[in-house]
Amino acid sequence: MMKCDVVIIGAGPAGLTASIELALKGLQVVIVDENYRSGGRLLGQLYEDRRKKRVWAGKIIAKDLADKAKALSVKFLFDTSVWKIEDKKVFLSNEVVKVIEAKAILLATGAIEKALPIPGWQKVGVVTVGAAQTFTNLHNVKIGQNVIFVGIDPLSISVAIEMKHAGVNVKGLFLPPTTNLLNQKCNPKEVLESVASAAGMATNPIYRLGGKFVHGAYTKLLLHLLKYKQLKINGIPIYFRKAVTQINGRAEVQSVNVRSLKIDGEVTEVEKTLHVDTVCLSGGLLPLIDLSQLANCVIIDIPELGGFVPLHNEHLKTTVEGIYVAGNITGIEGAQVAMAQGKLAARSILREFNLSSENEISVAFNEIEKARILSPITFLPEIRKGRQIMRDKWEEYLKR
Amino acid sequence: MAKQKEIHFIFNGKEIKGIEGQPIAAALFNNGIRAIRQCEVTGEQRGVYCGIGHCFECRATVNGIPGIRTCLTLIEENMIVTSNLAGVQNDEV
Repeated sequence: MMKCDVVIIGAGPAGLTASIELALKGLQVVIVDENYRSGGRLLGQLYEDRRKKRVWAGKIIAKDLADKAKALSVKFLFDTSVWKIEDKKVFLSNEVVKVIEAKAILLATGAIEKALPIPGWQKVGVVTVGAAQTFTNLHNVKIGQNVIFVGIDPLSISVAIEMKHAGVNVKGLFLPPTTNLLNQKCNPKEVLESVASAAGMATNPIYRLGGKFVHGAYTKLLLHLLKYKQLKINGIPIYFRKAVTQINGRAEVQSVNVRSLKIDGEVTEVEKTLHVDTVCLSGGLLPLIDLSQLANCVIIDIPELGGFVPLHNEHLKTTVEGIYVAGNITGIEGAQVAMAQGKLAARSILREFNLSSENEISVAFNEIEKARILSPITFLPEIRKGRQIMRDKWEEYLKR
Repeated sequence: MAKQKEIHFIFNGKEIKGIEGQPIAAALFNNGIRAIRQCEVTGEQRGVYCGIGHCFECRATVNGIPGIRTCLTLIEENMIVTSNLAGVQNDEV
C-alpha cells in the first residue's frame, strides 16, 4: 500500500493546480487519472479570448501546470481508475499500486457529457462534442469530411468553429427534436435566449451573435425571421428553427433527417435529408460525482450548477471528513474557475495540516469570482445563483 | 519542430501507421478507420463516441487483453489490436 499526504483524483485544471499548491508547502501528493497523460479537458481547448485578445490554448496551460507539479515531485499514476474510496483509502485499478492511503482526498473528476439519444445515435460517426474537440485540437485528426452538430450552445459553437479552422466542412448546427426528456434544449426560444445570455461572457463570434441580434423582446421576432433567413457564425449556419430527428446509415453515418420547428419547439411534418458522414452531439455537461457517492458524501440536486453535486462548504470541503472537491464536480464552469477552485481546495486541505492561514483561504476564495468574470465561456447562465444555493444548503446541513 | 516518430501496429490483421504519442483511436481515424468493433447483441458496428473513456464503445483487445479503451491507450511499436469486427463494409450490413 502506498501512503501519502493527499491523493488527488483527476489530473485536469483543478487537480493539477491543487497539486502544485500542496506540494509547494512540502506535502506529498499523488494524482490519479484514467487517461495516459495529464491535462484533462484543458487539452482540447482552443478559444479566442475576446478580452485578452489572445488564444486560450489549453494544451500549453496544461503542460505548464504538469511541468510545475513534476518539478515539485508530485507523483502521477496514469491509466488508473479509482473503484472505491473508504476510510481515506483509495482503491485503484493499477497493477502495481492497488491502494493509496492518504490524510486527505481531493475529488477533481470533472464532468461527463449528457446523452442526446436521437434515433441512430449509436452509429459509427456519431460522437460527443467533447470527443470532437479532443480529436480535432489535441490529436489533430479529422473525424469526418461533412459534419453537423446537434445541440446549439457555447461549447458546440466553439468546437464547430475549431473544426472549420481545421479544414472540416461544417454544414451547420441544429437542435435536437423535442421530447419530454430533452424539453428545455429543444425550444428554439429558450435555446436562443440561453446562447444570448452566455454571449456577454463568451468568445468573440458568440458575442457578435448575441450583441447583434438578441435583446429580450426581439427574440420572438428574430425566431420568426430565422424561419426564412439563416444565421451564420464564422460562415457556419446556425439553425435555431431546425431539428435533426434521425441519423441514418447502414453501418456508418450517411445522412440525417431534418425537420423544421415551430417557435414553441413542435416538430413539423416536412422532412429533408442532409448528407453528412459525422454527427457531433452536444447535450451539455453533468458533474461527474460517482466517486463522491461511493465515498458517502451527501449529494444534492442544484440544476443551476448542472445537476447533482456533492454538498460542500464555500471552501470546498464535503460532508465526509477529509474529502474535498474542486472543478466541474462542484458545478459546470470553465477551466479558469476550476484552476481557482483547485487552489482554494488545496489551501483548505493545508489548513488541516496547519500550513495555511484564514487570510490565504479568503484570498483564494476571492480569486474564483475573478476567474469567473474572465472566463471566455459561461456554460450555465445561473451559476452564481447555484453557488448561493449551495452555501444556503450547507448552512441548513450544519443546523440539522 | 522535431520530426514525429512513426509507429507501426496491427489492427485486425492490417498494418497501421501512426505517430508516437497518439492513442489507438486517433491513429485509426487518420487511416480512415472509424468502426472499431461490433455490438455483441445487434452486430452493428461501433466506434469512438465520448473520447474520454466513459462509454467504452471504442474498446478492443490490445496485446491479448480485452476491453481496452482505444481512445485512452497510446500506440506502441508492434502492438496487436484486435476486435470482433468481421470486416463488414458500409453497404453490406
